[in-house]
Amino acid sequence: MSVVASAIVGNTIVGTSVKRTDLIGKVTGTAQYAGDVKLAGMLHGRIKRCTVAHANIKRIDVSRALEFPGVKAVLTHENVPRVLHYGSPHPRSASVTCDQYILDRKVRYWGEGVAAVAAVSEEIAEEALDLIDVEYEPLPAVFTVEAAQAPGAPVIHETGYAGNLLFKPVVFARGDVDKGFASSDLIIEGDYETGRPTPAYMEPNVCVCQWDNTGKLTVWVSTQTAFMVRGILAEVLGLPLHKVRVLVDHMGGGFGAKQDLFQHEFLCALLAKETRHPVRMEFTRGETFVGGRSRHPCKIWLKQGFRQDGTVVARQARMTYNSGAYGSHGPGVTIVGTSALTSLYRCENVHLEGRCVYTNTPIAGAYRGYGVVQTYYALDIQMDEAAERLGMDPVQLKLKNAVREGDIAPSGHPILGHGLADCIRRGAQETGWEQLRRRPRETSGTFRRGWGMGCEMHGSSAYPGIKEQGNASVKMNEDGTAVLLTGAAGLGTGAHTALAQIVAEELGLRFDDIAVVHGDTDIVPWDIGAFASHTTFMVGRAAQMAASEVKKQLLARAGEQLEVAPEDLEIRDGVIAVRGVAGKRLTVRESMGPKPGIPAANLLGNGTYTPTKAYSFAAHFVEVQVDAGTGQIDVLQVIPVHEIGKVVHPVAAAGQIEGGIQQGIGHTLTEDYVIDLTNGRSLNAGFVDYKMPLSMDMPPIRTIILETAPDPGGPYGAKGLGEDPIIAIGPAIANAVYAAIGVRFRHFPITPEQVLAALQDQPDENA
Amino acid sequence: MKRVVEVTINGERQELTLEPYRSLLDVLRNEVGLTGTKKGCDVGDCGACTVLLDGKPVNSCLVLGVEVGGCEVVTIEGLQPDPERLHPLQESFMQHGGAQCGFCTPGFIMMAKALLDENPDPTEDEIRFGIAGNICRCTGYTKIVTAIQAAAKELREAQS
Repeated sequence: MSVVASAIVGNTIVGTSVKRTDLIGKVTGTAQYAGDVKLAGMLHGRIKRCTVAHANIKRIDVSRALEFPGVKAVLTHENVPRVLHYGSPHPRSASVTCDQYILDRKVRYWGEGVAAVAAVSEEIAEEALDLIDVEYEPLPAVFTVEAAQAPGAPVIHETGYAGNLLFKPVVFARGDVDKGFASSDLIIEGDYETGRPTPAYMEPNVCVCQWDNTGKLTVWVSTQTAFMVRGILAEVLGLPLHKVRVLVDHMGGGFGAKQDLFQHEFLCALLAKETRHPVRMEFTRGETFVGGRSRHPCKIWLKQGFRQDGTVVARQARMTYNSGAYGSHGPGVTIVGTSALTSLYRCENVHLEGRCVYTNTPIAGAYRGYGVVQTYYALDIQMDEAAERLGMDPVQLKLKNAVREGDIAPSGHPILGHGLADCIRRGAQETGWEQLRRRPRETSGTFRRGWGMGCEMHGSSAYPGIKEQGNASVKMNEDGTAVLLTGAAGLGTGAHTALAQIVAEELGLRFDDIAVVHGDTDIVPWDIGAFASHTTFMVGRAAQMAASEVKKQLLARAGEQLEVAPEDLEIRDGVIAVRGVAGKRLTVRESMGPKPGIPAANLLGNGTYTPTKAYSFAAHFVEVQVDAGTGQIDVLQVIPVHEIGKVVHPVAAAGQIEGGIQQGIGHTLTEDYVIDLTNGRSLNAGFVDYKMPLSMDMPPIRTIILETAPDPGGPYGAKGLGEDPIIAIGPAIANAVYAAIGVRFRHFPITPEQVLAALQDQPDENA
Repeated sequence: MKRVVEVTINGERQELTLEPYRSLLDVLRNEVGLTGTKKGCDVGDCGACTVLLDGKPVNSCLVLGVEVGGCEVVTIEGLQPDPERLHPLQESFMQHGGAQCGFCTPGFIMMAKALLDENPDPTEDEIRFGIAGNICRCTGYTKIVTAIQAAAKELREAQS
């Protein structure tokens, strides 16, 4: 069940759960994903992955593989272009690093690709991998951020800042923390550590490449960033942009990680070129772990000073993010995660230092919550701890310090509205929080329950790290229907439906009158990609602008036809009428259409929107039950309250929230991609051993969405939502566990063994 | 050595010549051209490849193509009662937000079909147990459960 509490009235299509246009194909099996593409003569490619964590390749012998019947081509570092490139090709932003080759002479993590084979079948390609002989010269390897920063540690990249640091540690400071601590009545500090969850999208990475006889490359690929893939393929392969066409229709999830390139896009294109056949490459599920991207494991030291009345007067923190073997989004994640601690709970004296370190482990990348999941986990747990030590209720402490109108956000902008306080208050009201918290903790018995809450705020774009741009074109058809052209990817959020709703609303047409064309870099306007919770906010605004531009043209035309001033006209349900005057009207179809001897109008509007930032807010309230006999933690119910400005599609919005909570519960309790710290080997690269919440693990979720702080930059006030729901759930669970059993966990995942051990260490309160 | 298998797929009798090691999933996707059934793991962990084999749900990645001789296979493409109409589960997954990225959706719908065929009036717990072998990473399962409940109700009402 979900509730939208809106103060905004007047929209008829925006704010309605129209039938999502992408779903008919998904429920009938006709939706085409990149992996469904089948071309005549198509070959199958596979990647050979190394079984050492750090080594130079001394020798690589592919002769036996090449002789194997059915094998058509083998690539190694010796016969692919050697171009240093970005792992995630945002336009030269400081968020990403330039430290990768398609295949290198050196391997930096267990599972890195060292060769690729194309063959007539997947089975033959797979068998041929075993026939490639690689001789390694092992190098010392480091698997933790401590080992990587120790004196004399092996340097993993020559291109880093110093040693194994990706870039110069980033510092965010204001006020004077020493003074702040000196004036504090209570100082709390703690060490926090977060695990290595992975996005685990259901669709394994896949691409199909084909060259035509003009030398043009077409790529079907599961990516959030089609234009970025086009750009980096063109750059590395030495092609102009019009010789690379990237196609993405439907994709089976990405959650941020599918902004990167994963070696196989290049290898697939090169194998197709070499064999003069289309080539398909699909990761196994295991490869989506080993060769995919995880969240950055992070270690955080956080210290805060409080006045007796609860005011936070100083906050100091040092974060170290583990990037794994390549930089990917390491700088962006570190900057966003570190700067997030300047806010959420207001504080005038702040000193924060974030660093990001290479290790010989699988690559961490962009993942929903982008560095903030880690730092807000620490912050919100420490706030809960402070509340207890100050003798305050955590809700009161958080409300007292909640970021509010006019405060400077991590992006440097003033916050609009009181979204966070609204979320906290509403959640407290829904749960009957005061009554709940008065319940004494159960200290005996097997099942012990407790409530906790966590908060978050997250920006609806990657600004200022990346200067983004949303583009859209809207063109009218002569029958009064319209087409939206957008480069925004459809990860599964329903973005294209939301964009069509916005266009229909703006143009005064019915939702069914709008078609959306997307997913073809040769046709749609340039797009930066779907990430940073920005599609509805940024591309939505661009679509609104494009529709508004077309509407202006349409009304000018209708004004002439009706012999009235265009500004006196309005459009509703496809009918153009003079405002306040009955009878004088014509349909959009009549206005647009051809007349005898006169062709139809040709109306096209473009919209380009360069956003700064809007912030969305949430407070999650959670009840857990801890089994004192087994250490098992069950989440019994979640009441998430989100403030997102304007809800465009209530069902899709609630779906984002519920799905984010599912991933967050997984992060906090069961999900951890484990690396053997003696040799760097992956230990649980599969769905049996990497344990995500299933249907029976998920609690009831009662979603509440508020529209109390609309952003003037977003379409109809809408702000982002994609990342928010994964952030607050973690600390809410940890705080609920504390309420249930009196044990303060400062890491995730919190496992049953740890719960049992902690309970055994607890002093017996009844003794 | 290839073997000839006769099988009924979505009501149509087909004669297939198959490698003995090829999974039913790969046969459906690559040889029959039914790509609605998805490969999420290929080892029976995720349920994305669920199809009905003689009315029972199976992970098609764990069944060999040559095993299905004489059997009846129904995939997501075979669920619509006729081309103009969707199955109530398909309608319901759309209406209630039971699908997001859609990659797990065909597997969930086929599993739900099997569940409702056997138990037309399941409790929420029975639904959650019934779909426990299918992984969804987008929805948190809440809306999938709602969609199955709504479809069950509609199917029951159509029966009575």
